Amino acid sequence: MEQVLLIEDDDRIRLSLTLGLEDEGYTVRGAATAEEGLREQRRAPADTVLVDLMLPGVDGYECIRQLRARDSVPIVVVSARDDTHDIVAALEAGADDYVVKPVAVKELSARLRALRRRARASTVAAVPALVFDDLEIRPEAGEVTVRGEAVAVTRTEFRLLCELAEHPGRVLSRAQLLERVWEYAYGDERLVDVHVGRLRQKIEDDPAAPRHLVTVRGMGYKLQR
Amino acid sequence: MRRPGLRYRVAAAFAAGALALSASMAALSYEFTSQALIAGRERNALRSAYLDASVVHAGLSTERPDIPGALRTLNTGSTRRALLHREGRWYARAADAGLTDAIPPGLQDLVEQGEISMQRVSTDSGPAVVVGVPLPSSSGFYVIDSMRELDQTLRTLALVLTLVAAGTTAAGAGFGWYLTRRVLRPLDTVTAAAREITAGDLDARLDPATEPDLERLTTSFNEMVDQLSARLERDRRFAADVSHELRSPLQTLSAATSVLDRHRDRLDDRTATAVTLLSGEVTRFQRLVTDLLELARDDQPVRRAPVDVADLAREECQARGLPPEVVRVDGGSAATWSIDRRRFAQILGNLLDNAERHGGGAIAVRLGQAPDAFVLEVDDEGPGVRPEDRIAIFDRFVRGRAASARGDSDGTGLGLALVARHAVAHGGQVTVTDRPGGGARFRVELPRTQP
Repeated sequence: MEQVLLIEDDDRIRLSLTLGLEDEGYTVRGAATAEEGLREQRRAPADTVLVDLMLPGVDGYECIRQLRARDSVPIVVVSARDDTHDIVAALEAGADDYVVKPVAVKELSARLRALRRRARASTVAAVPALVFDDLEIRPEAGEVTVRGEAVAVTRTEFRLLCELAEHPGRVLSRAQLLERVWEYAYGDERLVDVHVGRLRQKIEDDPAAPRHLVTVRGMGYKLQR
Repeated sequence: MRRPGLRYRVAAAFAAGALALSASMAALSYEFTSQALIAGRERNALRSAYLDASVVHAGLSTERPDIPGALRTLNTGSTRRALLHREGRWYARAADAGLTDAIPPGLQDLVEQGEISMQRVSTDSGPAVVVGVPLPSSSGFYVIDSMRELDQTLRTLALVLTLVAAGTTAAGAGFGWYLTRRVLRPLDTVTAAAREITAGDLDARLDPATEPDLERLTTSFNEMVDQLSARLERDRRFAADVSHELRSPLQTLSAATSVLDRHRDRLDDRTATAVTLLSGEVTRFQRLVTDLLELARDDQPVRRAPVDVADLAREECQARGLPPEVVRVDGGSAATWSIDRRRFAQILGNLLDNAERHGGGAIAVRLGQAPDAFVLEVDDEGPGVRPEDRIAIFDRFVRGRAASARGDSDGTGLGLALVARHAVAHGGQVTVTDRPGGGARFRVELPRTQP
């Protein structure tokens, strides 16, 4: 059974979401603070982590950073905040997805399923390696290397990179990437922008002047040699 | 009529002042100069006339006077004409014949009474001065001294003085214009700061040290901006707090009712009915809060990007159980518009929901193009919207008359207000008309570029 760790300080929300998600077939463990959540995740890693942003003590952003520093567990933010800069900050801290309260349990569960599917599925058929000059992507091994050195990317980042690598030199729009990587019919295109930004930090020599992962103004992104 | 600007008024006042001053100076100079010149010229004329008269007198003192000969001996130059009136006859040199008309009768009378007289006249060849000198044996000697040269000098003087006055007036206006620009320049910085603030930069302030004379203005301006930004910040924080405080309990309600809903079959009929009511109202309340918060959130800019609107429209229709064929794209099947996707999805969704609630469902969604705008039209087959309601329906919390009659309160009363808000955010508008053949037609126009 799939395990979800829910880090949420509001007891009522934690309890109601636990009940709702259990109905959807998940095993839910709750944590009222970021510290408790991080301890829980160290003790027995869950398959997915749901985290609120406004937490007492260590806040949600820091919690995401610490979770991300350890592994690539899918992280979904469940927050009452819907300001652009909160969303972007949370995604930049390392979250894979962001939902705004109130979210229907069915919707949340659909997003978790999509995340898990993404994490499991290998997007590209048996291709040993996609080579972009000094950047190499091995879809089967789940590895990315820059000049032979391994780069740690999250599952979402890896999916995004594979999707772009499959169409070398071709522009993919934000909407197309949302649909293929996040499996959303439509959604917040900032998700794409933020993940592209994080990928550049990892694979580009100068993230401000990207060589491989370039923006095509008004159209989208492409990956090139 | 619009009042002319401060700069125009100041420049005009300067010009008027300069004109009054320079014109009176010019008039006075002209008056003094011309009087002095004319007086001098008259003295000359008188003196010459005396000399001529004594020469003629000498010529007449002989036994048989040769009058033309005496006149001919005069050295009159080109400006003077000599005439002699003796015993009722006029004598003149041949070249000067026919000038007797120029002698005024009054002057002639005075001379005949034995008085030396002088008078200014105007002749065919310009202004002149006539000097009459009585001679013995009832003779009168007259000299017509032309003042044309002097007249020309005076005309030139008048012209020069007029030009100087005009120049001074223009200089006055220019000086006023320049001065006001200097004086008003500090206000440009105020304008610039106000613009920055309007554009959203609430940190813009004026430096009171740069213009000590305007310190009161800069101080009160800065105070105003401080107050404004404090109030905006308060409002923003309040909206964020309200948002959080409303969303959190709604999350619990939503999750808890979903649990109740899922286990409805284990409840008795009465409880199940109550759960149905509860679940429906929670959903509606949730939508209401989301819409309200969206309306309250005014500060989000429009994020334009290419959007496949045909695709989006078909998805929105399918999500509401409408066949994708209701979507019609002018001139083909694809349409990519540069608009804010989130806002456009809400416009479309809310119009479709509105058609479903009040118009029996949308029967056509048309995506078209105007020369400078993208056009979306949603048609339904309902009762339409009465002309007097066509503006009010885009206000908040106005629900269709038919809806209240049916007791159907499914909507939040905010859907069309949000449509209008999103259209206006794009610099566009939404209108409603009658659909040919019955029903309502909602038309949204979004300019291609942000105005």
